Amino acid sequence: MIVLFAIFLLTLLVISAIAIVRVKNLFVAVMLMGIFSLLMASTFFILDAADVALTEAAIGAGVSTIILLSALALTGEHERFATANRWLPLLVVTITTTTIIYATFDKPRLGDPEAPVHQHVAPWYLQNTPELIDIPNVVTAVLASFRGYDTLGEVFVVLTACIGVLFVLGARPEDAPKPAKQQGLRHHLIPKVVGRLLVPFIVLFGLYVQFHGDFGPGGGFQAGAIIATGIMLYAVLEGETAALKAVPSSLLMAMVAGGAILYGGVGVAAILLGGNFLDYSVLSSNPVDGQHLGILLVELGVGITVCGALLSIFHAFAAREHK
Amino acid sequence: MFFATSIAILVTMALALARAVMGPSVYDRVLAVNMFGTKTALLLSVVAYLYGRPDFLDLALTYALINFVGVLAVLEFFQNRTVSPDLNKNDDVR
Repeated sequence: MIVLFAIFLLTLLVISAIAIVRVKNLFVAVMLMGIFSLLMASTFFILDAADVALTEAAIGAGVSTIILLSALALTGEHERFATANRWLPLLVVTITTTTIIYATFDKPRLGDPEAPVHQHVAPWYLQNTPELIDIPNVVTAVLASFRGYDTLGEVFVVLTACIGVLFVLGARPEDAPKPAKQQGLRHHLIPKVVGRLLVPFIVLFGLYVQFHGDFGPGGGFQAGAIIATGIMLYAVLEGETAALKAVPSSLLMAMVAGGAILYGGVGVAAILLGGNFLDYSVLSSNPVDGQHLGILLVELGVGITVCGALLSIFHAFAAREHK
Repeated sequence: MFFATSIAILVTMALALARAVMGPSVYDRVLAVNMFGTKTALLLSVVAYLYGRPDFLDLALTYALINFVGVLAVLEFFQNRTVSPDLNKNDDVR
């Protein structure tokens, strides 16, 4: 039955993807992207990947719509006609698609216990997580501890991407938006009342996702996105200026860099205490407690960086809009 | 019971998607996206119970909280920018 659900959702996914490509009004494309993301999250969830689904939910439902709309406010609403030759792209896409479809013939069946991916390190992680790290969510254990290097890399990718986007948009912290004619939705009663009620709950839920990541789906990436969404909601309601007053851009810059430094600092602290880089066992007298502390700090660093990066990009778009 | 519920939700999702693709006006699409988000939250809760893992309800909660923000962002976008709400003439698929 679940397989039928998955097939149905994938069909809807294909329909919305084709519609996104074919529609010429970019605003409609943004709306369809929202639906695409919702479908994607449901599919991840049905495949039992709750952590990934939560990430897609946190980014796709709020942040990406807001950032795409900010980009749309800077550009035109209609897609320009492509004058270039269309046959070459078609050829490239056909060849790639054929190759991928050919490759799927060798793919093991979904959920096949004999698949190579289930024979490699995964059994070791599943076996040793209760003993070495002792947290229920193995995904968090793999992400923050066993594969801590990879996640450190991801955090620095987020940092680099944020710096890159800010350079491209050419926004400096001094370019605070001037009070425009009418900012935010504060003159509309219903959005104002409901939205203001929601802001604290969204931030609270983000903190819950942040610190509950060891026990259920969630962690730093998702929490950073959810908290950033909460603050973006505040900006949408009260205007950019109010949001920048609450969370100034100097603080955002410090968050983007500080989270990455916190992550790296935990690794260096582990070296200084006599362990390997990012080996949290030495952080406390009991190795398991050390792992708990290390994962908590590392996830906090991830959350701070992601939240700061998303908000800086959001404000950079808005500052450019007001120029 | 859960199966019947989830099938009903899936059908509603398909109808909302049809409305979002066909339009014709902006408001149809905004409403369709909003409804799609609500239905996703419902579907996630039902599937979480089917899997017997109610702790996955966190996901549905995320959607319930965040889906609204996207809609508000759309409203603000339209407030700051006078877009022709009638897209009939020029947004038809190629």
